[in-house]
Amino acid sequence: MSIRRSIRLRKGRRRKQSESELPLTSMMDILVIILVFLLKSYTTSTNSLTTIAGIQIPVSASPDIPGDTLQVIVTPEGVTFENERIMDFVLAAAEAGTTEAHYRFKEADLDEEGLRVVPLFDALTKAREKAELLRAKSQARDENGQPLPFEGTLAIQADKRVRYETIRKIMYTAAAAGYKTFRFLALSREG
Amino acid sequence: MLSRPSLRRRNENGEIILNLVPILDAMVTLIAFLLYTMSFLALVSIETQFPQASKDINQELIEKKPLQLTLTIRDQEMELWSPFGKVEKKILAFLEPGKPDTEALHAALLEIKKAFPEENQLVLAPASSINYDTLISVMDSARLLENSDPPMFRTNPETGTDEAIQTLFPEIVFGNLLSNESEGSGA
Repeated sequence: MSIRRSIRLRKGRRRKQSESELPLTSMMDILVIILVFLLKSYTTSTNSLTTIAGIQIPVSASPDIPGDTLQVIVTPEGVTFENERIMDFVLAAAEAGTTEAHYRFKEADLDEEGLRVVPLFDALTKAREKAELLRAKSQARDENGQPLPFEGTLAIQADKRVRYETIRKIMYTAAAAGYKTFRFLALSREG
Repeated sequence: MLSRPSLRRRNENGEIILNLVPILDAMVTLIAFLLYTMSFLALVSIETQFPQASKDINQELIEKKPLQLTLTIRDQEMELWSPFGKVEKKILAFLEPGKPDTEALHAALLEIKKAFPEENQLVLAPASSINYDTLISVMDSARLLENSDPPMFRTNPETGTDEAIQTLFPEIVFGNLLSNESEGSGA
């Protein structure tokens, strides 16, 4: 065998080796299983409720799944409405008999004897007016041919350290803005 | 004109090898999309209504003396009572600061539910300093029946048959939303 022929044969063998393929079937099996699992879990997450970093949400055994509603998130430092930070609290001095200082509403943010939170009231009113306008333009009508009434439901997601004093003011403000039903959000004990 | 050669290839034994790469691409894209849009938070809710002031006082209802079961939560204790004295007043001390005795509360509410199976409402009057975690744990023990609870039944007035009670006091109403007091006060 000549040297040239030997080189040609070696080149051909190398080409054959480089054409060998990865076995993709097993990888396909894994991906199909992952896909089925994700699709199955996906159907349970129907709402668009979100949360923010650093919040500690309490755990509840309630079986009720919250529907899609407007949401206010209360952390010890401030209030977020529909993913937009609308106000910050100020750090109050420790009360007599306690060692822990905590955050409070700014005095300038409150009216009606300290019960109504003005920036939150403005944001909630704007959101209600927008929802009512959308309903007026929508084709959906009730039995009397009128636009569907505003539901007035507000989801409240609060940090476990937030005091009732703060939640009460938020509920009062929301009621003044036309929201009469509240959904307190918590993490599912089962999930 | 020559037609495009098939993408399916044959190996040395004549077996057809499917081109799985495009399917693999689609799957990876789909998985990435699902992971991105998926919610990993399992949120649940507890619904409550803002108390509505009645325009006309229902004299008949007042004479009937409703239960109006009220739970006042203070800094160190809870008080279960009825404004019309329909249940005996009960004080439940906290196990430790910020930790209510939810088991004792649940047991007390079970006894009341046995006596008043038609009642579904509980008025909550927490103090200002009570935190959200305590509120949720108290509402949980007041609203839901546990698997270990003894079964309870009530007679359906329409059908006359006994029905199992599924919940304890599922309707929670905050009784002190309009007051600006720091202490837990009654409705």
